[in-house]
Amino acid sequence: MIRTVLIYATLILMVIIFFPLLSEIKPLSQLNPLAKRYVEDSTKNLNSPNIVTSIVVTYRGLDTLGEVTVLFLATTGIGFLIKRRKKNGEKGAFQASEILQTGSLFLFPIIILFGTYIFLHGHLTPGGGFQGGVLIASASVLLIMANVNIKLNHTVLHFIESLSGFLYVIIGTIGLFLLGSFLDPKFLPLGKFGSLFSAGAIPIIYSLIGLKVGAELTNIVDSLRAEGMEDEK
Amino acid sequence: MVNPLYMFILFLAFGFLFAILDKMGRKVTLTLFYGVLLANFIIPLYWIWGIFSGTTSGTEISTAGFMAPISINLRFGFEEIIIVLLVNFLGLLSAIYLSDKFKKSSINGMILFMVLLMSIDGLVMTRDIFNIFVFLEILSIATYSLIAIEKNRDSLSAGFKYMLAGGIASAFILIGIIFLYRFTGTLNLDDMIGKSHLLVGKAGFLSLYLFLFAILLELKPFPANGWALDVYQAVNEGLVAIIAVASSAAIFFVLYKFLPLVPSEYYGYLGGVGLVTFFFSNLIGLKQKNPNRLLGYSSIAQMGLLLATLSILKSFGSNDLIIFQIVGGLFINHFLAKAALFWLVGIVKKNDISAWTNLRTNPSLLIFLGVFILALSGLPPFPGFWAKWDFVMILASKGSYFSIIGILLASLFEITYLFRWLGFAMKKTDSTEKIDLPISKEFPIAISAIALLVFSVVTTYFFKEFSFIQILPLVGLVLMYLFGYLPVKVKGFVAIVIISTYAIKLYSLVSGLELFFAAILVVGSLVQIIATMYRSGKREGFYPFLVMMIIAIGNLVIAKTYLSFFFQWELMTIASYFLIMKGKEVTSAGLKYIIFSMGAAYFIMTGFAFAPVIPAINLSLINTIGMKHIGILSLSLLSIGFLIKIGSLGFHVWVPDTYNKADDDTTSYLSSIVSKAGIFGFFLLAVAIVKNASLDTELLLTIIGWIGVMTAIIASIMAAFQENVKKLIAYSSIGQLGYIILALSAFNHIGWLAALNLTLNHMLFKLMIFLAIAGVIMRTKTTNMYEMGGLIKKMPWSYISVLMGIIGLSGVPPLAGFGTKWMLYNALIERGWYLQAGAALFASGIAFLYLFRLIYTVFLGQAKPEHKDIKAAPLWLLIPQYIAIAVVMLISMKPILLLKPLSEMISVYIPTNLGWVGDKLITVNGYWNGSQVMNVTMIIFGIPFLWMLFITRKVQKVKQFNIVFAAERPDRPETTHFAHNMYAHYNKAMGFLVTPKLAIKFWDRVSEWISSSGATLRNFYSGNGQTYLLQIILYFIILYSIMGGK
Amino acid sequence: MILTTVLGFILIILGIWGMLTQKNLFKMVIGFSILDSGIHLVIVSLGYIKDKTAPIIDSDILANNASSQVVDPIPSALVLTAIVIGLAVTALMLTYIIQLVNTHNFDSKNMKDPLSITSYEELKW
Repeated sequence: MIRTVLIYATLILMVIIFFPLLSEIKPLSQLNPLAKRYVEDSTKNLNSPNIVTSIVVTYRGLDTLGEVTVLFLATTGIGFLIKRRKKNGEKGAFQASEILQTGSLFLFPIIILFGTYIFLHGHLTPGGGFQGGVLIASASVLLIMANVNIKLNHTVLHFIESLSGFLYVIIGTIGLFLLGSFLDPKFLPLGKFGSLFSAGAIPIIYSLIGLKVGAELTNIVDSLRAEGMEDEK
Repeated sequence: MVNPLYMFILFLAFGFLFAILDKMGRKVTLTLFYGVLLANFIIPLYWIWGIFSGTTSGTEISTAGFMAPISINLRFGFEEIIIVLLVNFLGLLSAIYLSDKFKKSSINGMILFMVLLMSIDGLVMTRDIFNIFVFLEILSIATYSLIAIEKNRDSLSAGFKYMLAGGIASAFILIGIIFLYRFTGTLNLDDMIGKSHLLVGKAGFLSLYLFLFAILLELKPFPANGWALDVYQAVNEGLVAIIAVASSAAIFFVLYKFLPLVPSEYYGYLGGVGLVTFFFSNLIGLKQKNPNRLLGYSSIAQMGLLLATLSILKSFGSNDLIIFQIVGGLFINHFLAKAALFWLVGIVKKNDISAWTNLRTNPSLLIFLGVFILALSGLPPFPGFWAKWDFVMILASKGSYFSIIGILLASLFEITYLFRWLGFAMKKTDSTEKIDLPISKEFPIAISAIALLVFSVVTTYFFKEFSFIQILPLVGLVLMYLFGYLPVKVKGFVAIVIISTYAIKLYSLVSGLELFFAAILVVGSLVQIIATMYRSGKREGFYPFLVMMIIAIGNLVIAKTYLSFFFQWELMTIASYFLIMKGKEVTSAGLKYIIFSMGAAYFIMTGFAFAPVIPAINLSLINTIGMKHIGILSLSLLSIGFLIKIGSLGFHVWVPDTYNKADDDTTSYLSSIVSKAGIFGFFLLAVAIVKNASLDTELLLTIIGWIGVMTAIIASIMAAFQENVKKLIAYSSIGQLGYIILALSAFNHIGWLAALNLTLNHMLFKLMIFLAIAGVIMRTKTTNMYEMGGLIKKMPWSYISVLMGIIGLSGVPPLAGFGTKWMLYNALIERGWYLQAGAALFASGIAFLYLFRLIYTVFLGQAKPEHKDIKAAPLWLLIPQYIAIAVVMLISMKPILLLKPLSEMISVYIPTNLGWVGDKLITVNGYWNGSQVMNVTMIIFGIPFLWMLFITRKVQKVKQFNIVFAAERPDRPETTHFAHNMYAHYNKAMGFLVTPKLAIKFWDRVSEWISSSGATLRNFYSGNGQTYLLQIILYFIILYSIMGGK
Repeated sequence: MILTTVLGFILIILGIWGMLTQKNLFKMVIGFSILDSGIHLVIVSLGYIKDKTAPIIDSDILANNASSQVVDPIPSALVLTAIVIGLAVTALMLTYIIQLVNTHNFDSKNMKDPLSITSYEELKW
């Protein structure tokens, strides 16, 4: 009882404390100088139309490397937490409907293709490595939903994960080597504005991220699924 | 210089690759793993070298080919390099410690570990607030995952609570960051600091506060830290070392980076958060028995102290160098000691600190435990000592009384639980259980201890500019330790050589009062070293601390600054503590000793802190202390400190136990030498008072005088009722010291003269009695007087020694004690303290009771049948006694030899009103001729004595057992012995004065109250993760309402 | 006051409410997720400028006049990172729950609910 009162009092006080963040902030009418610089600089120096991508991959590339690391940590951590056990025989407590099974086989390559498109064009159109990667992972989720007993090849997944992460670091290091600055993508030609092969190493980095994220998310879902099924017994 | 980014690249590249590389075999990945860790330790080491050799001063690194506000930049300046170095060093050691885990568990463990270290380095180096968030999350996620290195229920549930708290912290920091960005239009920290004027209104403050709160939460402030304690308790020690030390260090550094953004009026609140945490964590820690959780409390407390020092110093506007010294000192202390202690806990694997006795099967581990506990307690020569001293000095100069009280009280709590632990490990009943100890686990601990020691010596010697003689106690310690394998006799001889050499050196440095005290303390100690050789075997660890103690006490006399005085004082305390701990069943006595000693030390420290800085002249303290006028506050604090040290009434509770339980020859040192250090302190005070004529010290002196008198009376009564011979002498010792401060506080020439004389006499007489009794105890194997008796024939030499001792102590003619007492009464009457004089006389009367009991029940009467084959005391014990007797005889026959130079020493401070005619000392009240008294007494005593010998020459001697007993056997046979409860009738008359045992009750209540309030407070930590969350959010609200709205 | 920001803060409070009141571990994690989503909403909404478009230069937006036509790109970049991190933490929390239940002693005498936060109070004081 006291506890309940305390909790609601706490929540009300939190509302009161947070209120100035709503009331004192006026809507923006123009970009701040930093954002302006990004917008102008991105087209001029990086030749990348998607400014968010420029920020994510280049200007704040260290954040993104960290972000990739976080995801990598999550899969590694989950792998560390959950010891994969050898599963034997049927587990099919739940059978997917035929529509789902057939539909998933049809949709799977299309979604993969779409995901690939998204991360390859990360510097040109909305989206990028993460978004593409999530799409790819969602394809795998669809596959898992359609066939609960499906076994994914973890060696391949881990290989993609490890190698793409490693190559990302290597590309960053090439920038450090050639241009003296870690994660500088300008060691590759900037190309023609708006074309696929432009904006230096950005498309390569985003492709690697896309592959990595796709593999990692698939891995996470699969790990949780394996453990969850173990539990139902 | 190597680009520090290569550290990140190494960690990450191999982190990503390891899953593939592991297919080639674990050997490959393990080799690479340790290779990477080593390389990343060497890189910052190389930079440090660059900084000290002047080739670099650090660097700023931008990324992505753009300059700072646009891209993320990192800084690798001096502070960053040091912390990264320490973190990677600790990472390497921790990885070595965890090597068996890494060998067995999946490859993911190594990957997580490397990424964890990378995130810590990143947190330290980055200058971008969103990047701070990213690294913080990497750190958290890596930690959450690694917690599962032990997949048991406890660590998992602790991990889950950690995730909930960490989740809230990351949510708050994220809201804070985005609003900070919204206000300032930048994410770069330096850029933002330049634009901090844009943070306006409540929203501006709130965005700062959100960020700050998240960082604070990660530093585990009391009381929103239950989750952290669970983590410390449950998680594998190798990992906790990283969490508690390296991660906290990085987060603390983030706070340090962020502080310039916070308006300085809020620093005080942060200091408050730190102080509250430091105080309450230590208070609650008092009740803790589980070593992991105990260290958890200690870690949290230390981080609180770091936070408090940093923010308080910042709020004072102290310059960076001072902040760096103080915070850095505390930091390094905590960093190395705490991590290693966690490892140690992991090796010993005992859930209760009282079960730590198996540590004794591995002496090196025990030594390490001692080193780390000394370091954490802020004792010299470890960095924490300097930092605490400097900090208290600064607090005092700003008049922050509450902060001083809080910090010192909490430090005392911390010392209590740490030393209780150490005491258990050293002294609780033996265990033969071996500790399973692979080299990979001992190595990191040893390296930490060595690093800590090297760092301490380097700072002490180079930065604090301490001369060789000042660190000589430590040199002596190490030197004697090297002789550890030799037998006692040889080591004793070596110790004599060392101390003699030191004494000769000291002699060239002292004059006046210094000379007097140096002679008493050092020569008195030197003589007693002979006595210590009566033991057989090796007595490991005894001589190193003995030598350390003697040199430290000698150095007290020549200390030139407050700091160096205090330094030696603490060294003396440490050394005497370890000497006491050599005794049997000494756990609780030793603990009492260290608590009271440290309490005394803190009073002395604050006393010095409030005293004006003395001019830097190359003279010892006793010559310079009065040059600037010292105020009454400082004088009072110093007095209390010294009163505790000499065990005056009210503070005496530690004395009897300690004296009783310590080894017999150690007790002799404690009583005759160590207590004199307190008396020397009182002389320092007295000099300071004399030099400050304008100050009204009447009240202070009267109080001290009365304390002296009452101590003499009560202690004498207590002494009379003791059954235990060592306790009897202990109380006697307390009482005698009471006389000394009484004489001193009379504050006239003859009073001081009496005090100096009493000091010398007490040293000599207590030396004689304690060593004689040591011999008796050795032969009779008991300390109960009713189990002794009739030893006069078996141990005549000891008898004579005790006889001389009690004649001297009781102050009857003809020995020097008489003259001294006479001077004391003269001084009191001259001062007009008639009542005190009467009381002192009364106390002397009571002193007869216990002195008589001592000699009568031990040496006279019937010998016990079991003592019929007893031998005389060993020669080793007798030699120092007879040296002392020789000195006593000399100063008794020719007192003028001593008195005249002493009077001259005093007349520097108080002009003399005494006259000398031949051997005659003339005062305002009368005269005394020591030599004549001697002669007269000898004749009065001699003639009847000879007469008695003459008439008893034909008396038949009756054998002891030619009588028949016909009595039943009582339940407690000793109750029928005359020596048992000898003064029952006096007990009826005066016992009411001492039976309430007010002092003991008082201190018991205090300790009970403190520990029960700790116990009540810790109910706060209910173990429920959701309650912890609620506490965190309430803490958020409360801290906001305290700080907010300005 | 932008409606999205308000909505974000409502979600934040709602999430905290969930974490404080729900005993079920999964529901607590859901609370955390809601809290996280609320924050993401707040982040994005703070970069929004009325009547401006996404910061991608194409034929509709002239490169030399872009800065007056687009919303602030920085929050969009930040939120991406924040989302990924939130996802990682949530996944890890869920894994923890699974493992916690695995360590549970499914004994008929053990009345503790393996999914309740109150069952994990062994460590305290």
